[in-house]
Formats: sequence, structure tokens, C-alpha cells
Amino acid sequence: MEKQYLKKVIECIVFVSEKPLSIQRLLKVLPETKKSEITECIEELVSEWNSLDRGFGLHEVANGYQFRTNSDFSDEIIRFKEIKPFRLSRAALEALAIIAYNQPITRLEVDQIRGVDSTGVIAALLEKRLIEISGRKEVIGRPFLYQTTSEFLETFGLKSMRDLPSLKELEEIEASFEKPLQGLDV
Amino acid sequence: MTSDSSETCLVKVQAFEGPLDLLLHLIKKHEINIYDIPMALITQQYLEYLNMMKELNLEIVGDYLIIAAELGHIKSKMLLPKPDDDEEIEEDDPRADLVKRLIEYQRYQEAAEQLSRLETLERDVFTRVHEDGTAVNAGQLLKVDLWSLIDSLREVFKRRNLNISAGIQFDIETVTLDERIREVTSILISKKKMKFEDLFRNNASRLELIITFLAILELIRTRLVSAYQEYPFGPITLSYEGEPTTWKNNT
Repeated sequence: MEKQYLKKVIECIVFVSEKPLSIQRLLKVLPETKKSEITECIEELVSEWNSLDRGFGLHEVANGYQFRTNSDFSDEIIRFKEIKPFRLSRAALEALAIIAYNQPITRLEVDQIRGVDSTGVIAALLEKRLIEISGRKEVIGRPFLYQTTSEFLETFGLKSMRDLPSLKELEEIEASFEKPLQGLDV
Repeated sequence: MTSDSSETCLVKVQAFEGPLDLLLHLIKKHEINIYDIPMALITQQYLEYLNMMKELNLEIVGDYLIIAAELGHIKSKMLLPKPDDDEEIEEDDPRADLVKRLIEYQRYQEAAEQLSRLETLERDVFTRVHEDGTAVNAGQLLKVDLWSLIDSLREVFKRRNLNISAGIQFDIETVTLDERIREVTSILISKKKMKFEDLFRNNASRLELIITFLAILELIRTRLVSAYQEYPFGPITLSYEGEPTTWKNNT
């Protein structure tokens, strides 16, 4: 297939796809093409779309590609859609962060870090499909283990789990407390 | 207006996300060195806050009391005279565990903040999806999770006025799980695809419904059958996937 043609085909499929479109899925739809061709085309499409400086662009997200609006126009879109913007409570965000960096993890382990019961927030995160049950931990009571979902990546615009901002080093946190280390005479 | 003074007003406001959050707040507010927390001051401040919560009729959950007890425990430990032995100099600070927990918690609070600053879908950026969440194109099928299956079972029960959590009755088993698995398998082999609900006979007993549900779960587990929805919260369809001989060989 000629390259310019292939690029347009891919562009159309990304456009009509509801979920971020993965290379694997494109390969299934276009069995004649090589993976390297598709990757090359889609990378060119990404840079072309994003150099256009339009209202929306093509982004790599959740192990796929998706057209997304530019964040500068969120107010207008929210007004148009007449929706409440997505929001998580601080408690839910905390639990989500703990799960994201420690998955798979049980509710009890989340509770221990937060010092407070997380049953309610975990239920809310499950309902929003940001987390899912990945199995059970083989300890007494066989509690559920939780992990983040691809909706989690989509929601926060992450390419993959590797794209998750790295957790601050403990030393950095320690340094952020006003008077570190001095006067430690017990 | 005369109102009874004993009338209480329960306000559920959560200013703090939990006891550790409260402690971190106190430490930052008083610019305390986290490695040398003055236990007397912090315990007093913490308890004062709990009292305030009580006066405001805020619900104090047990988690706050656990940390209060821990603070008291650490405080009392620190009051104990230190042995003079040279060997005991390396003794652990009773506050060490608490400090470790606070720092760990602070770490995730910051991670949570970092997450909330990312460009978020349906807040900062948007995609081409209908407002009700259904797909622009319904080409891709959604895998069904256990909870959707249980929800559907609950629907089946509701429609038949049966209570899903009613007490256990020990009826004489009219149909065994093995038999039902075979039955369901043969129905699915001939039909290839069918609605989840259609597997439940109209006049089936509660036991029969449960056995049918267990049979479906077993068939999904062994991957003979797959369950999917065409859109979120849509009807569940079961489809036969496996070789007709697989199940027979297993029994």
C-alpha cells in the first residue's frame, strides 16, 4: 500500500475509533502491512497533527492513539456538554495513587498507608473503572487485590504505566519538611 | 421560635482525610522537625482537635482513636528513664515507626496531587464519545466482569420476586451442578449465542437459578463460554467458544 494512502487509512480508523487505537488492532485491520510501516505512519501523523496548532490533536494514550481536544478549550466544551467536569475526592486520589504505585495491592494495605478505612473510596474507584480486581492474595481471608485499568491511563492521559510520574524519593520528601535532621538528640 | 436544646445536628464534614493527615497538618502548622516531634505538644494538639470535632458533632471514626492511643503510648515510652548502659545507646526512638508512616503517607499525598495535575479526561481534554458514555462505534465488544454477571443475576432474581440473600434452605437437590453444566453446554452448542437471562427458566426455583449461575461461571472459567456486552451496562450475551468435546473429557 502506498504510504500516503496508508496514512489516510490509519487516520480515518483512529478518527472513528472510540477507544485509543492500538498498533495491534491496526495490524488486525490491515493484515497486509508491516508493523514498522504502521508505526512510522502513525508517528508522522502525530507530529503532523500536533504541529497544525488546531483545537484538537492526535495523542498517544493508554497503549494506543486517540484524537483529543486541546486543554485550552475545556471551559467551552464543558459549557457545551453541560456536564460537571471529572473530579475525584482527595481521599479517592490518595487511594488511587497508592494502588497505582503498589499494584496489585489489597484494601488493608491501602488502609495501612492512609491510616484510615478505604472501603468507600475503593468502591468509588471500582465504579469509575479506574481500578479493577486482579485476583486474591493468598493469605488468611484471601482478600481481593486491586490494580489500575486502561481507563486509568486514559483518564490521566498516560501512554502506559511506564509513563506514570515517578514517585518522589523518600529523601526528597524528608527534605521538604522544614528542619531536617538537626537536633536529633533523644 | 422555641427549639429543644437537646436537638443535635450531625454534620458530616471531613476536613481531614484521616488521623495521619491531621498529624501532618499539625506538624507543618507548628513547623515541627519531623525527626524530633515533641510528643507532649503534638498529643495535646491532636486531642484538642478531636475534642473540637466532638463539639462540632463531627463523627470521629475509630481510626482517629487508634492513632490517639498510639501517640499516648509513644509519649509514655519516652518518659521512661533511659538505661545508662553504653550498649543501649543505639536504642530505637519510639517515634521512629510513626515518623516512617508519616513520611510514607506524605509521599502518596504528593503523588495524588501530581495525578490531579495531569491533563485529565472529561476535565481538561475530551474525546469523541457520546455523553451517556456509549461508543461512537459499537464495534468492539466489552468483556464482562464478575460484578456485571452478579448484577444480572440480581436482576433475574428481582424479576421473579426472589431474594438473593435470603437464608439458605436445604432442599433436596433436584439438579446437580454437573448436570446443569452439561445441559447449559448443550444449549449453547446448539444456539452458539444467547442472552444471559434466557438461560434461566421462568418457573425455576431459587436453587435452580443459583446452580445455573454457578454452571455459567464454571463454563466461563474454563473458557468454553465467553460473556460480553455490546455497550456498558447492556445485556450480557453468552457465546460458545470451546470444542464440544472438551467438557466431556474433563468429566
